[in-house]
Amino acid sequence: MQGKNMPMATGKKIIWLTGVFLALLIVLGPVYMLVKYSVSDLSSINTGGEPIPLWPYHPTLRMYEFLFTDSQFYRVFMNSVIVSLFTVLLSLLLGVPAAYILGRYQIPGRKLLLLAIISVRMFPDIASVIPIVEFFIKLGLHQTYTGVVLAHTLLALPYVIFIGIGAFESIPHELEQQAWVMGAGKFQTFFKILFPLAIPGLAAAAIYTFLLSWDEFIFSYFLMFGRQEIFTLTLYLNGIKYAEPQNLLAAISVCLSVPVIVFSMMVQRYMVAGISTGSVK
Amino acid sequence: MNSQRNNHFLSETLVSTGVWIRKTWPLLPATFYLIGFLIIVFLYLATLSLSNPSAGINFPSLKVFSELAHDQAFVDALVNSLLFTIAGTPLELLTGLVFALMLYRNFFMRGIVRSIFLIPLAIPAIVTAMLIYILFDFPGGHVNHILSGSYPPFPQIISEPLNWRGSGLFALSISMLGKVWRDLPITMLILLSGLNTIDPELFDAAKTMGATMRVRIAKIVIPLILPSISAVVLLRSVEMWKEFIFPFVLAGRYRLLGTLIDFYYNNVGNSHKAAAVAMVLVGCILLSSFILFILMDLLQKVTNRR
Repeated sequence: MQGKNMPMATGKKIIWLTGVFLALLIVLGPVYMLVKYSVSDLSSINTGGEPIPLWPYHPTLRMYEFLFTDSQFYRVFMNSVIVSLFTVLLSLLLGVPAAYILGRYQIPGRKLLLLAIISVRMFPDIASVIPIVEFFIKLGLHQTYTGVVLAHTLLALPYVIFIGIGAFESIPHELEQQAWVMGAGKFQTFFKILFPLAIPGLAAAAIYTFLLSWDEFIFSYFLMFGRQEIFTLTLYLNGIKYAEPQNLLAAISVCLSVPVIVFSMMVQRYMVAGISTGSVK
Repeated sequence: MNSQRNNHFLSETLVSTGVWIRKTWPLLPATFYLIGFLIIVFLYLATLSLSNPSAGINFPSLKVFSELAHDQAFVDALVNSLLFTIAGTPLELLTGLVFALMLYRNFFMRGIVRSIFLIPLAIPAIVTAMLIYILFDFPGGHVNHILSGSYPPFPQIISEPLNWRGSGLFALSISMLGKVWRDLPITMLILLSGLNTIDPELFDAAKTMGATMRVRIAKIVIPLILPSISAVVLLRSVEMWKEFIFPFVLAGRYRLLGTLIDFYYNNVGNSHKAAAVAMVLVGCILLSSFILFILMDLLQKVTNRR
């Protein structure tokens, strides 16, 4: 262990490089396998006792072709999109005004409120899911899109508020004061000055919420259990794991992961900041 | 006189509450939403776990918990969860530390390598679980082929393929493997942020004074990133207790507390027992966090004294 910029002896450099190479292998190996399985033909999976090839004998995109023309997959995919988009909408509708107040004003009880907001995420999902399902059964929201959207919003809202607070806090107070001096009301100042400036941060919050809802499993599983026609991608993938060939499972997994990987790279800065402060799981 | 004072106090409180609401009303929908759900969760958990009308147990009673204590499935799940947390937390800490130490140095394409190291976090947990499901398939999965020596230069370690999902130890081990792989970036980033706060000149000075790598890690790195290590231990142990997806996909009947909740609720149809297990899970998390907090605090004090 030495300073960040101190040159290393050749022997140590080789050890360090080998370590980095192995680490990259550990991280990328499984991702490669996922892609490899998704383009594998059946003879590269059912090898009759022979070792499974590290690259398929006859790589094919047949599984993807099948998925993109399969009406059932299309329905499940659209279910995921609908649930995720409505979760984003509701989370922003509730979260942005809250983030604005918490980010711009020093109101009494602010710290207590922030603690209450984050404590929602500290509670284990698997422990809170039973009460919520029971409550939704009473309201007639069990096995409905609305129920799932409401539950996902509950999970996403603390993140939207925390990311939103950061976005609103970073806007200089002078801008707001100048608008007031020039006669703009609170609403005008918010919609014409603060909101447009906070959009990059709020976009990150929206993407983060979309991803959270897109790959959420526990609430979707408990709330949709028994009604296949509203299943999201995560539930569909779990439901077919015993029946379908591995290349199809891998292709569905890739379809489920690609949006997450792409969007995660876009909001990496916010995720890293969230992890460093302990607010992201 | 007293009633006048009370009325005055009441009207003042109402006015100040009114002012607070007028100032902060945009905050209220989100606050009511979150706190409303929090109240519902606590209320329902308490009501469900402390009663079971269909079995003649009226609220409030601890009978559901006493029934649970005599249930072998619950005892097994509790022990499994405890072992999962005890083994998984240090494993996450260790792998995260190794990855963070690698990224600590400035090197060519460090940013790209860091982005690559973040990939597991971007892959949905259910996908990682499914991938492990495929790789550890029995009898013909990739891992069985590797361990059978089918891919030189890997040596042969097993003579017969292992049924990874057919034994409690293996099934929970591969579940832990998946969990550690997916959470690796979080642990790594927390520790890396701790490492970045250390003055690099400290290492250079220690090296100049002849301290070996082991001494530098033990006497400089570990004590100085102890707050980050404490954060990792606390946060990751909570995550280990809460784990659901990996054992759900990979471990089947070898349950943790999380998957036992699913079993009681969706398979047995007993929401009261499921709620009681949820309460036990919350209790375990609070107790283990408290113990770990005390231990880490003690460790920090001992290290500071040295």
